[in-house]
Amino acid sequence: MKTMIAGFALAASIFGSLAIVGPAAAETANIWVRADGSNFMPRIVDAFNKGHENQIKLDIIPNAEIIPKYGAAAAGGTAPDALSLDLIYTPAFSAAGQLEDITDWAKSLPYFASLSPAHVKTGTYKGRIYGLPFSADSSVLIWNKKLFKQAGLDPEKGPTNWAEIEADAEKVNALGGDIKGFYFSGNCGGCNIFTFTPLIWASGGDILSEDGSKATLDSPQLRGAIDLYRSMVKKDLVPSGAQTDTGSNFFAAFAAGNIGISPSGAFAIGALNTQYPDVDYGVTFLPGKDGGWSSFAGGDNFVVTKGTTKLPVVKEFLDFAYSLEGQTILAKYGSLPVRGDIAKDALKDLDPRYQIAAEAMAKGRTPYSVVFNDLINSANGPWTQMVNEVFFGDDVDGAISNAQETMQSIIDQAPQK
Amino acid sequence: MTTIIATTSAPARRRKLVGAGRRQWIGLLYVAPAVALVTVFFIIPLGMTAWMSLHNWPLMGAHSFIGLDNYWAILRDNRFWNALRFTGYYTVIVTIAIFAVAFPLALFIERPRQLTGFYRTSFFMPAVVGFASASLLWSWLLNVDSGLFSPAAFELGLTEKKVNLLATFQPAFWSIIAMVVWKVAGFTMIILMTGLQSIPPDLQEAAMIDGAGPFARFRAITLPLMRRTLALALILSVAGSVLAFDQFYIILRGGPRNQTLTAVYWIFNQSFVSFKLGYGAALSMILLVILVALSLVQLWLLRKPEGVD
Repeated sequence: MKTMIAGFALAASIFGSLAIVGPAAAETANIWVRADGSNFMPRIVDAFNKGHENQIKLDIIPNAEIIPKYGAAAAGGTAPDALSLDLIYTPAFSAAGQLEDITDWAKSLPYFASLSPAHVKTGTYKGRIYGLPFSADSSVLIWNKKLFKQAGLDPEKGPTNWAEIEADAEKVNALGGDIKGFYFSGNCGGCNIFTFTPLIWASGGDILSEDGSKATLDSPQLRGAIDLYRSMVKKDLVPSGAQTDTGSNFFAAFAAGNIGISPSGAFAIGALNTQYPDVDYGVTFLPGKDGGWSSFAGGDNFVVTKGTTKLPVVKEFLDFAYSLEGQTILAKYGSLPVRGDIAKDALKDLDPRYQIAAEAMAKGRTPYSVVFNDLINSANGPWTQMVNEVFFGDDVDGAISNAQETMQSIIDQAPQK
Repeated sequence: MTTIIATTSAPARRRKLVGAGRRQWIGLLYVAPAVALVTVFFIIPLGMTAWMSLHNWPLMGAHSFIGLDNYWAILRDNRFWNALRFTGYYTVIVTIAIFAVAFPLALFIERPRQLTGFYRTSFFMPAVVGFASASLLWSWLLNVDSGLFSPAAFELGLTEKKVNLLATFQPAFWSIIAMVVWKVAGFTMIILMTGLQSIPPDLQEAAMIDGAGPFARFRAITLPLMRRTLALALILSVAGSVLAFDQFYIILRGGPRNQTLTAVYWIFNQSFVSFKLGYGAALSMILLVILVALSLVQLWLLRKPEGVD
């Protein structure tokens, strides 16, 4: 989803693991997190270790490595006790019989009902709960206030429907030079499930059926959203690099300050504030065709390796993460809170733009599929191929029906255990 | 003790035998590390791959024996055969391109002349860069917005607007070929140069006295005497190209529109994107067989003709 963080992944792997040795009597549980979490995870683990006798040993794994590495470790009996896992993989992991059933414990939590619904949905497999929300990221639309002002637009008012997106982008684009109206990563499946499907959802369509058993690509809402992007490409409002961007510029393009509007994520708020303090930007919802809005609910589910002996420690840690203190630490270092009932408190001292992202998160959606990687994230999968073809190619109908057919056949061939 | 008595009773013969036996043991001792390395890092992994290929072996969860089912599935896996066809096409084109560049370079730097050292070094330089790093470098050079080629062509007025080289098949494919030639030609050049230098100069001189022109000498003396060197360079180039992955993964991600998926890329996808390790292992075995067959054919084609040293 955020390939631009792949660079950090390398740094994270060099730093290796943050081993914190506790007192001999206490137990130490091993937890893995993908590099996307390398900002907030060490902080919360540190805070936990300081105040508890039981300890957590954290390993940060590069985003692309964590799945194969966990698979290999599980096969060799050296898997960590728990894992902060990209939530879209939870169905596949649960289906593989790799995870501990934590239904009873989860339902005993007094705040269970206010945990991020999208996380809980992907964490549930055949009625049992295998994953609980840990970190969260929602998709939003960001716009460059400085460029809006220069173009004669109201810098405080972001677009609220598709026509406004296109009109505003056109005005900014007219500034000329290196300045472009709109940016998206046109060859990146993860980026577009994150930021393009909300346009469809907000207009009432969907790309997969509720249970993930049917691909439903051929809808007027999808075609409408495609037309919006195609029209902006045709009017030259989008840099030509977008066509081949596999995600490496997903964030960087806007951060450089020459892009008027770009669909992005909550993570961008923290990243822009810390790395690009000069960029003056606004945050709003990803709108539907005639208003309304939607968001992708991304982030990590916390899952427990089947058969671990450290379950009490893991639960203790998760309890801490769900406390106001834990949620505040998470929010401060780049993840949205996952407990709806205390989200406002956790965010109250932070950049007010987080409120929009948190609101988006609360209503966020996540497609449910045990073959999400094959369908959506794979650089060579049907979704990635389709978005590239429909945004830039000549044969929209052919691309959609081809993707519909391929996605359905992947779903049908998936192992049903 | 007995040895001493034995040596005194039958001195010469006995000592020789003992020596030969011991030399054999010492010989085995010397090769033992190599044998151990090959066993641990090649034979055992190969055996495990073969074993896995007979299983339904997901990345996570239990695996089950399914005999040859993976191999039957390969027969119907059109996308693998397409990837293999593309790999073959790429191998032919890139091998020709590498030799077309490396051979003239080798002829150019073979004999000492002014600045030969400089030329040799600069032609060879890209070969020391890893494929992954070279791919990263080129993916920046080829970037349409912030790279080198497209913006330069645009600024120089050669193109009307910046052309995205990676957006359609032909420019993307030939960009990769250019990158691989840039990266590999220097290495092939060095191999070919050693071959050229091993040809005795008297043969060339004799032919020259007999009135053979430069082209005739190249065809009748240089090429036949370089047979072994050519075989080596060819096998290295073909094997490297059949296993191509880094450049297509890093620069193109198999695109545009999955037209540049190579066989290894497909194996990678099946194993680590679709989590089907057993199927990936079966594909690897097929690719191994193809590669061994290709190498044997090349060795046979470039074998020493009867009666020629």
